[in-house]
Amino acid sequence: MAWEVCTFGPDVLEPDVGRIEDLARAEAALAGVHVAVVEPGEPVRVTHVLDAVEPRIRPDGRMAFPIEDRAGEGVTNRISDVAVLSCLDFPGEERPLHEQESIVDLAGPAADLTPFGSMRNFILAFRPGDGAGHRAIDSAVRRVTLRAAEVLAEPTLSAEPAHTHVFALGPADDSLPSVAALVQLSDLGQLYQLYLYGTPAGECGLPKPVDPAEVMDGAVTAGEYHWAAMRNPTLFFQLSSLVRTLYREHGKRLRFAGVVLMRGYEQSADDKQRAADAAAQVAVGLGVDGVVITTDAGGNSHTDTMLTCRACEHAGVKTAVIVCEETDLEATAPILTDWVSEADCIVSTGNVEQLAPAWKPERVLGGEHLLDGTPAAEAGPIPVRNYLGAANQMGQLDLGATSW
Amino acid sequence: MLAKEIEREGIPTVFVTSLPTISTMIGVNRTLRGPAITHPFGLDEEERRQIVERALEMLETDVEPTTVWEVAS
Amino acid sequence: MRAVHYLNQFFAGLGGEEAAGTEPTRVDGPVGPGKGLAAALEGIEIVATIACGDDYFSEHEEAALERLFELIDRDGPDLLVAGPAFGSGRYGYACARVAAEATKRGIPGLAAMHEENPGVATAAGKVVIVPTAVNVAGMRDALPRIATLATALASGRELGPPEEEGYLPRGFRRNRHHGATGAERAVDLLLAKLAGETRSEVGGAFDRVEPPARVGDLPHALIALVTEAGCVPQGNPDRLPSVRAQAWLRYSLVGEKRLEAGDYESVHGGFDVARANEDPNRLVPLDTVNGLVDEGRIGRLHEFFYTTTGNGTPVATSTEFGREIARELRDAGVEAVLLSGT
Repeated sequence: MAWEVCTFGPDVLEPDVGRIEDLARAEAALAGVHVAVVEPGEPVRVTHVLDAVEPRIRPDGRMAFPIEDRAGEGVTNRISDVAVLSCLDFPGEERPLHEQESIVDLAGPAADLTPFGSMRNFILAFRPGDGAGHRAIDSAVRRVTLRAAEVLAEPTLSAEPAHTHVFALGPADDSLPSVAALVQLSDLGQLYQLYLYGTPAGECGLPKPVDPAEVMDGAVTAGEYHWAAMRNPTLFFQLSSLVRTLYREHGKRLRFAGVVLMRGYEQSADDKQRAADAAAQVAVGLGVDGVVITTDAGGNSHTDTMLTCRACEHAGVKTAVIVCEETDLEATAPILTDWVSEADCIVSTGNVEQLAPAWKPERVLGGEHLLDGTPAAEAGPIPVRNYLGAANQMGQLDLGATSW
Repeated sequence: MLAKEIEREGIPTVFVTSLPTISTMIGVNRTLRGPAITHPFGLDEEERRQIVERALEMLETDVEPTTVWEVAS
Repeated sequence: MRAVHYLNQFFAGLGGEEAAGTEPTRVDGPVGPGKGLAAALEGIEIVATIACGDDYFSEHEEAALERLFELIDRDGPDLLVAGPAFGSGRYGYACARVAAEATKRGIPGLAAMHEENPGVATAAGKVVIVPTAVNVAGMRDALPRIATLATALASGRELGPPEEEGYLPRGFRRNRHHGATGAERAVDLLLAKLAGETRSEVGGAFDRVEPPARVGDLPHALIALVTEAGCVPQGNPDRLPSVRAQAWLRYSLVGEKRLEAGDYESVHGGFDVARANEDPNRLVPLDTVNGLVDEGRIGRLHEFFYTTTGNGTPVATSTEFGREIARELRDAGVEAVLLSGT
């Protein structure tokens, strides 16, 4: 199966803010949206960020974030170096949302904690409708954000791409090791879950293998709002460094055997063990020598990662595990949320406890106050844990904790 | 970390959790695997009695460091 | 800037093994290797050298430290440099202890020794250590590197990564941009592992506690209930946070036979609390335990239960909670604990 991606530069954009506002207006659960365009490197802090999406559209008219059609085949247009950031302060005291602020700084000392500082950003600051519930609000925000990403990409339909790339897995030498990615999608109920073709990850019969191109072509979308740094926003799937690396190395240093999606946040010990064993069996079924295991969100999803690592190693499949650290600044050994002795090959995507130095932005978008009430422009040092995707555990970014 | 610090004072402690790998990672000595994150001591009284009695048994047993027991022996 | 330099008897010129029992002593200005170090230092003057015999230090550590810091305090230094001790274990140990004590007292401490010197482990994150060769032949190479670190440390700026600044990692976990993404690193590490070379970016482990002996006579013992699952009276009157708890709480169980739904709830932010709120005994098994007390299987139940939330709380904080709760339990004569987590 081949998937062709046509890349266009940001110059192709002809933003029509009115159309995005209309999308929000059509949602009963939303009172409206304020759209702002921020150029790369502007001294702006964005707060209450829920998701980030790259503008995409399919020339054949199928949905860019499909619910029924299959992703990862045919042609998709993308606009590079552009992100749509959805922002919302959920009303009320829903736990633990009101304690888990999610920030993007587009300049200043924390600009390099997220990829957005070097991108053109469309900030969609949503206003919830009176009396609307969290779930209805979230559904509406996700719908409008994904649709806005399509609307923004429309001008590509009548433009020439800067370049095109075909993702396909050709034959590879049998002597190369066979490698798969086990990609965790969390599901702890709405507000804390990822979606596969619009369906919550927990209702998709995971674990199961998918075509790697599906992952990058809008099949996976995000709606998981735990600790910001440990989130995997939609854009990280669309541009997955892990999937792209495995494609790139296919036929050179390895044979890319595919992606296995699995669920994070199984809620009982038995379910966790069963899911871990099942993921290992899918890997064995693919005939792989090794897997890279990713993690989504924080807390007991790390147990799912570690049990999957153990199950794979016991089944004869070698593992590399990607997790972040939660190491107190005074501690002299790394602290993981969970660990098994089989996890002997771990990539650290950063210590979320570290503080980013204080920085005073010239403008704040998304909401003037952080969720704890602090004025966002005067917040002082902010922990890495509050920066969107900064320590994401799919290995999208280059951050990592090392011993100092 | 509570279990470890209480045991450091010499008081035997059973940690009932459905996530025993976390427990053994941090060095808890007496871990009993509970049925679920949402209800470590079971859903009904019969199940709870089984878990508590097993926990008491573990308190009455000398263990190796980072021992994990299941409810049904 | 003013520095004091610590040496052992040998490098201070007081004698060899026969002088290893020498008590702490002070000399004005630099001595021995201190002269070379002074020449390499810019803007920092070695105002005094203090020395102690290696045997004296290891046999009378507390007295030695007390005396050494009486001598050090006279000069009010901005910085303390110890060694280099190269591969010498006793000297390295003393350098690490003296530099750690200085740091604790607010004087930045710097030591130098071979990376396998036992002093490195002694310093355990408290001291910046410059690596040296295993023996004195490495002196010429070590002194300018010690001087560079001394300047950095005295300036009060935060040190950069160890391989850039030239010190041994203390173990603190700090972030850096690797250039390669985590995914690229994971694929590289996996391919290396498949080729027979297993490496990890994360090592190390938590400390261990010796398991206390079993309870001998449970039917006469006092037991306590503790939970990390955020169980509190309905309405959370004391505002226990649902994540990153900065407090633990205790509530009286006097007169309570079971935790009634509607009277107690869980505020834990890491799991769906619906089932726990239907019946809080699913988190804190008061109903069952009271039954077992009545049956004589358990002696007595402690009058309070203790509660906090375990999720997202820094390890140092939850360790401190554990210590505080443990002291209360010990003082109350509690002999065994049932603790529930998630």
